[in-house]
Amino acid sequence: MTAHDHILCSHCSLPVGVRPMERRLDGEACAFCCYGCCIAFQVKSGRHEEWEAAWLLIQLGVGGFLSMNIMMFSLLLYSDAFTGVDAGVLPWVHFLLWIFATPAVVILGGPYLREMWLNGIQGRVTSSALIVLGVAAAYLYSAFAVFEGSTHVYFDTAVMVLMLFTVGRYLEAVGRARAARDLEPLLAAESESATVVDGAAEIRGPVREVSAGMLVRVRPGERIPVDGVVVEGESNTDEAVITGESRQVTKGAGSKVIAGSINIDGPLLIQSSADGTATRWARICRSVREALGRRSPTQRLADRVVGVSVPLVLALGGLTIVYWAQSLPFDRALLIGLSVLVVACPCAVGLAAPMATSLGIGRLARHGCLVRDPGVLETLARVRLLAFDKTGTLTAGKARLVGVYGEEVGFDQVLARAAGLERLSEHGLAQAITAAAAQRDITPLVTSDVRTVPGRGIRGSAEGRPVAAGNGRLMNDLGWPLPPSLAERARSLEASGHSVVYVGWGERVHAVLSLDDSPLPEAQAAIAALRKRGLDATLLTGDLGQAAERIAALVGIKDVQAGLSPEAKRLALDRLRHGHVSVAMVGDGLNDGPVLAAADIGIAVGSATDLARETAGLVLPADGFWMLPWIVDVARAVRRTILANLMWAFGYNLVALTFAAFGLLQPILAAAVMAGSSILVVVNSLRLERLPDPVPALMPAQRSDINVERTHNVSGISAMAGPAVGHDLATRGPLDP
Amino acid sequence: MIYYLVIFAAGFAGSFHCIGMCGGFACALGRDQRGASATLVRHLLYNTGRLTTYCFLGGLAGAVGQVICTTQGLTAAPLLNGSLDIAQRILAIVAGLLMIAMALQFFGLLQVFHRLAIGFGGSTFALSLRGLLTARSSAAPLAFGVFNGFLPCPLVYAFAAQAASTAGALPGFLVMAWFGLGTFPAMLMMGGLGRILGPAGRRRGVRLAGGFILLLGLITLGRGLLPSHAHIGLAWLGGHST
Repeated sequence: MTAHDHILCSHCSLPVGVRPMERRLDGEACAFCCYGCCIAFQVKSGRHEEWEAAWLLIQLGVGGFLSMNIMMFSLLLYSDAFTGVDAGVLPWVHFLLWIFATPAVVILGGPYLREMWLNGIQGRVTSSALIVLGVAAAYLYSAFAVFEGSTHVYFDTAVMVLMLFTVGRYLEAVGRARAARDLEPLLAAESESATVVDGAAEIRGPVREVSAGMLVRVRPGERIPVDGVVVEGESNTDEAVITGESRQVTKGAGSKVIAGSINIDGPLLIQSSADGTATRWARICRSVREALGRRSPTQRLADRVVGVSVPLVLALGGLTIVYWAQSLPFDRALLIGLSVLVVACPCAVGLAAPMATSLGIGRLARHGCLVRDPGVLETLARVRLLAFDKTGTLTAGKARLVGVYGEEVGFDQVLARAAGLERLSEHGLAQAITAAAAQRDITPLVTSDVRTVPGRGIRGSAEGRPVAAGNGRLMNDLGWPLPPSLAERARSLEASGHSVVYVGWGERVHAVLSLDDSPLPEAQAAIAALRKRGLDATLLTGDLGQAAERIAALVGIKDVQAGLSPEAKRLALDRLRHGHVSVAMVGDGLNDGPVLAAADIGIAVGSATDLARETAGLVLPADGFWMLPWIVDVARAVRRTILANLMWAFGYNLVALTFAAFGLLQPILAAAVMAGSSILVVVNSLRLERLPDPVPALMPAQRSDINVERTHNVSGISAMAGPAVGHDLATRGPLDP
Repeated sequence: MIYYLVIFAAGFAGSFHCIGMCGGFACALGRDQRGASATLVRHLLYNTGRLTTYCFLGGLAGAVGQVICTTQGLTAAPLLNGSLDIAQRILAIVAGLLMIAMALQFFGLLQVFHRLAIGFGGSTFALSLRGLLTARSSAAPLAFGVFNGFLPCPLVYAFAAQAASTAGALPGFLVMAWFGLGTFPAMLMMGGLGRILGPAGRRRGVRLAGGFILLLGLITLGRGLLPSHAHIGLAWLGGHST
């Protein structure tokens, strides 16, 4: 890996490669991947007071002026406009053409010559060598012809080939910049500037100089440059780039803001909570930059093909000239050889993959999905099996109260006592119980003498009677009897993978609470959608069999492997890989890092881990599970586009090459055809822009309403369901006190 | 000759349309500190660049027309040849319709088409080129003129269509050259003329240009539709070789 690998073109955000064009524009160092980007960037954003930016355009303009004059005179020559005139004029016309052509060739051909030279001294032959050789041959031959008094000159060919290639590269670069548009907000993190308020002074400087505690002013329409807290002002923000959520979020004094979100309609004063370079936005920026700098396997293959094909084409051009020179005058043979050189220029092949990939990465990034390696998209398109982790991936990863089963007591009574105890505990199950009570407006009973019993539960006293909540052993220790119907219920709940909490007071157990991690509401729809796309799903989890089976049945996964250690998960993945060519693993990125790394593609959902340590190739935002089918669609579209581009570029080249070698293609036409093929690849890739946005079948916001399982009314036991329904049932239930 | 004079007049009238966009450029090109002659050279260079682009486009359009009508004996303009083959007729009809469509825009009709013609990425291109005007190189006005010529403009399209219908590189070149020369006076005298005329006068000029283009378009269309012997009035219009 060289230092250039992670430098992206200032214009099109594709990697610059080993030989960037480097310039200083507007006081900043810019690197360009190609001559076209260099032109396009300066046309678009170069400030022309600067000599260098203006100079390039002036050169192009003057080159255009000269070449158009040459072309015009040549057109008139071809259409025999000078036939009526004295034939003695002809050499003078040729001489005039030479005068025009010499500076034009120098001006327009200079950048190509430079490129050829820079690559040449490193032992590489690139496509610019083809252009330079072809043009030089046409020009030199014509120059000799002028002084020999020959009847045919080909200055127009030399100049027009250069002109067409230049225009083609410019148009190509314009298209490529469009491809990078979605990536701009992500890549902006490193170049963004921030307005730091220091007393009365406001200083605008790069965001990397902002440190924690500084005050930053953000005007409406600007991007918020740092993570922090609003000190002053009110506004709506759009955080889609970071969180994937496209809703506007209202912020006022005291609200937290995320770097990278757009401040829509009001000025904000923000106190930075971290260094400008430590934000998630900055980390995402680095990650995207790295991803774009890598090359996918297809791209590496295409690059190798290009590397090999240039010398081959040179040889083919030489052979063509030798062959035709036997039957035709030398100048005609030379022109045919020139056509071959020009038409075989493999520019389009090199462009086939990176552009489609960067469009795909940008497209996903706009919805908060991060691709960390360009190869991921191509692999994902081929994947036939998705393995899911359970906790935190298919489920919310947090326990929830899903059922209350009581013996001759009311629902509220049970929860009020349980919450009175549990609100003093830090335990995960305790928090779920307290939250459930709060959600239903049940006031926790005032409880004194609260004591946690490690590994058992919690006890205290309320209304002058002892109360306890905990597992069976706690009730055993207390010697409180368990009614048989509750014992039966508890057993079946435990068997189906639920966690069970007994609640007792007045020397006996009165109720059983069942808690569970319930599946994400969108999981079932997402998995059905994936299945429709021909993908199999399997569940690999470390949890117990019953719990895994139950969740799997709820989301529609048939194949379950439970009770796996991380190592066993990896082995299971390897086994699965035998049946399916490649396997993707979807996990939460927290516990299953090694498994994600071991899969062909690791997909982390809602990852909270540091991106730098992230092992997954694809990182989805929190609540991003529902986007999986759409991501597969994007990946497949990207792969299709790359294949179409490659087929197009190769097919086109081969057909055109055949025509050229048989002398059926004029060099100027060949140049137009070649420039056209690159532009076609660009246009074909840009079709990816028209992919539909993901349609949320179930928005994460709806989750709390749906996520509670209906529970059952067993032997006169009150049950609870969702927040509204549950309460209603309880008050009207048969055992209402 | 009269044919080209008509085109020259159309170019002259049409240049009042140019004042809107290109005129702004000409003004921005401004004065050279080195005196009046240097200023004149600057503006001449700019207009030469523009003219070159127009001529190139005209020659190219004519050559394309020639390629389409690959009949024999097309060395001279086919306007007077009497015998027009089918390809030439189709070319004439298409070019004529295009010109009429362009002409209608100058009367404020068919605005959709206008937006289509102008919105072809032209405005951003124009904006970014504006910077070239302030560059201190003496070649900058020439370069700017060359790019300026490529800016989307219904006038240029209309005359390029006319050039294509001549089906010859030389007559196509001449059409655009005369058109370009027609725009010279107004563009050279830029600031002054624009101010004297005022918006109302400019609108009249634009209407006049529309009238010329409409006339030329109708004649071109007629060449495609009417039988050969009915080409009344073409003798004086198409008489560059008489």
